[in-house]
Amino acid sequence: MKTMRLLVVDDEENIRFLFKEELEEEGYEVDLASSGLEALSRIKESPYDLVVLDIKMPGMSGIQTLTEIKNTNKDLPVILCSAYGEFKQDFTSWVSDGYVVKSADTSELKQTIRSILGKT
Amino acid sequence: MKKPLKNMNPTDVLGKVIAISHSNLETEARINSILNIIAQDMSFDEVLVYTLDSDKLLTCRFMNSRSKLFHLLNQYRSRVGEGVVGSVAQKRMSQHYTYRDVPPRFGCLFYPDLNGFIKKLRTFSFLPLSDDSYLYGVLFIGSAGTDRLTDADKILLSIFTREIGGILRSHQLVVSSKKRISELATLSELGRVLSSNSEPRTILGNISFIITKALNAGFTTIRLGHAFIKLDSQRYTCGEIDTTTEKEIARLEEEVKRSGKTASSREFLQDQLQEAVAAFYTAPIASKDRFLGTLTVGGPRSVAGLAVEESSRYLVETIANYISSGIENSLLNMKLKDLVDELGKAQQRLVEQETFRSLGEMTASIAHEIKNPLVIIGGFTKRLAKKARLDQTENRYVEIILKEVGRLESILDEILNYVRENPMLLRGCNINDFLDELLYLFASDIAWEKIEISRDFDRDVPLVPCDDQQMKQVLINILVNAYDAMHGAGKISIRTEQKQVGSHPFVTISITDTGGGVDPKIIDNVFNPFFTTKERGTGLGLAISNKIVMNHGGHIEVNNVTGKGAQFIVYLPQKNSIIQEEIV
Repeated sequence: MKTMRLLVVDDEENIRFLFKEELEEEGYEVDLASSGLEALSRIKESPYDLVVLDIKMPGMSGIQTLTEIKNTNKDLPVILCSAYGEFKQDFTSWVSDGYVVKSADTSELKQTIRSILGKT
Repeated sequence: MKKPLKNMNPTDVLGKVIAISHSNLETEARINSILNIIAQDMSFDEVLVYTLDSDKLLTCRFMNSRSKLFHLLNQYRSRVGEGVVGSVAQKRMSQHYTYRDVPPRFGCLFYPDLNGFIKKLRTFSFLPLSDDSYLYGVLFIGSAGTDRLTDADKILLSIFTREIGGILRSHQLVVSSKKRISELATLSELGRVLSSNSEPRTILGNISFIITKALNAGFTTIRLGHAFIKLDSQRYTCGEIDTTTEKEIARLEEEVKRSGKTASSREFLQDQLQEAVAAFYTAPIASKDRFLGTLTVGGPRSVAGLAVEESSRYLVETIANYISSGIENSLLNMKLKDLVDELGKAQQRLVEQETFRSLGEMTASIAHEIKNPLVIIGGFTKRLAKKARLDQTENRYVEIILKEVGRLESILDEILNYVRENPMLLRGCNINDFLDELLYLFASDIAWEKIEISRDFDRDVPLVPCDDQQMKQVLINILVNAYDAMHGAGKISIRTEQKQVGSHPFVTISITDTGGGVDPKIIDNVFNPFFTTKERGTGLGLAISNKIVMNHGGHIEVNNVTGKGAQFIVYLPQKNSIIQEEIV
């Protein structure tokens, strides 16, 4: 079975590190990007199966990045991952494929990724 | 039998009378002294003066000291033309009688009490006290010692009548000018009270006090026709009123309210009641055809009739007019004060709301910053525990760290969900009134003085189900954005309409600014959370607004108006089937 490639986008280095460790343990191949722009260029360079995207980032925000990704790669699943729980509903019913509230307990994130990738 | 006037020297008498007449004595003392001189020097028994009072009645007021008739005659007052005294006053011609031909009607009535006294007198003379234009009274002379007056006596008496008439005339002038001065003083005092900023209650209390003192009245009572706002009583009284009089005053007040004209107890009450109660005047207090109440002034009945004279009627009316404008002013003042207070409070609420909103956003932003490190701490603690081979105690330590991280996370989630799913309090809301109120607050803010606000409201928009506090937040957000986009100067056009979208009727509020509009590249993002073009914005304002409107079953549309600015249209459903039953 082919190894799924994930891209984790977050401006916080240690969050990226944590997610990489946790997700690699799950058997994914994990690349990292520290900004929206970097994420877009990585996606252009090589194909990914899923993107985990932080919302609040300096420069290009997660929402703008999401819009750009969806403009060019309509079928690439994107999970928004933010400290804010407030808008979870708005986003899931809207453009993103998932919305996870950031937590030290990464089981929700893992579960969401599994269910999206399981479908495809 | 004629008693010769041996001792009288007419020149002497005349000299004495003129000396007294021109002295500085009080009016009453001067006249009484003159009457005494006439009685003594001309040997008369009764020398009395009737005066014509302002109520057109003749009253026996002055006498020689040995008069026996005065105390009887002064009990009765007669009209001009009534009886001998009245007829002399009317014709202004002297009349002389003897005991043989004196008519039975002396004054206005035939007095049986007089019989015993009159029989002792042999001559009766009545002389008018008048000058060319006015009649001031009548002089009565009665003598027991002579059958008829000589021509010399008559000439002398006619000189005295002129003197006494002169004294009465100047007395009247002094009295009337004193009265006029005191009226003016009263009015100016009332003016001062009425134009003061005191509360209506205090003003009305002071007015009744001033009127009572100025008119020397027994009481003054002001009754208001309506229970005006914030006035605990409808009646303001100075002085004592007995219960019988009180009842009659209430009746006359009703009559005055009906007729709109001043009336007195004398015209209104039946004779038997007139004796029992105090005398009073009641004048309507009215302003621009609006009946505000009545003013009643009165006092106990006296010999002279009304304690408050007939001539005071016009003063009472004038004061009533004065009071009406005073009350009107005072009520307006009070209304204005209430409005200003209300405005102040509303502004305060707006500021609090705005502060609360920014505070909420700021808190959320801080919580967000804390959340990331916390996730990292918790995340790696977990990883550490997994990798390291920990004994039971060490595992317990890790569990404690993770439990505490979990607790902190849930606290932060609580804060970050600050726009909680508050239960909406929906009620039927008139959007136009709602906007008027809100815009008024903005317009009274000095920072908004360079913003022109134009309104184009459909005055027939129906009520819409709306949580006004939440909707206020939405409109404030849009308006503040417009303000920021225009850098504090420009025009905001606000329009309300009814629109049909598919089969659903909506009420729309469109807010258009002249701030240049939204960059087409980002126009789709304006409702996204954390999306902001402002240097210090949180990017939550419009996102929350959108959420609130969506919770109402509506939506917000954003357009660019070419060459002008941005236009936000809030669509609110006229009916909300899900929440219909909750509407109050």
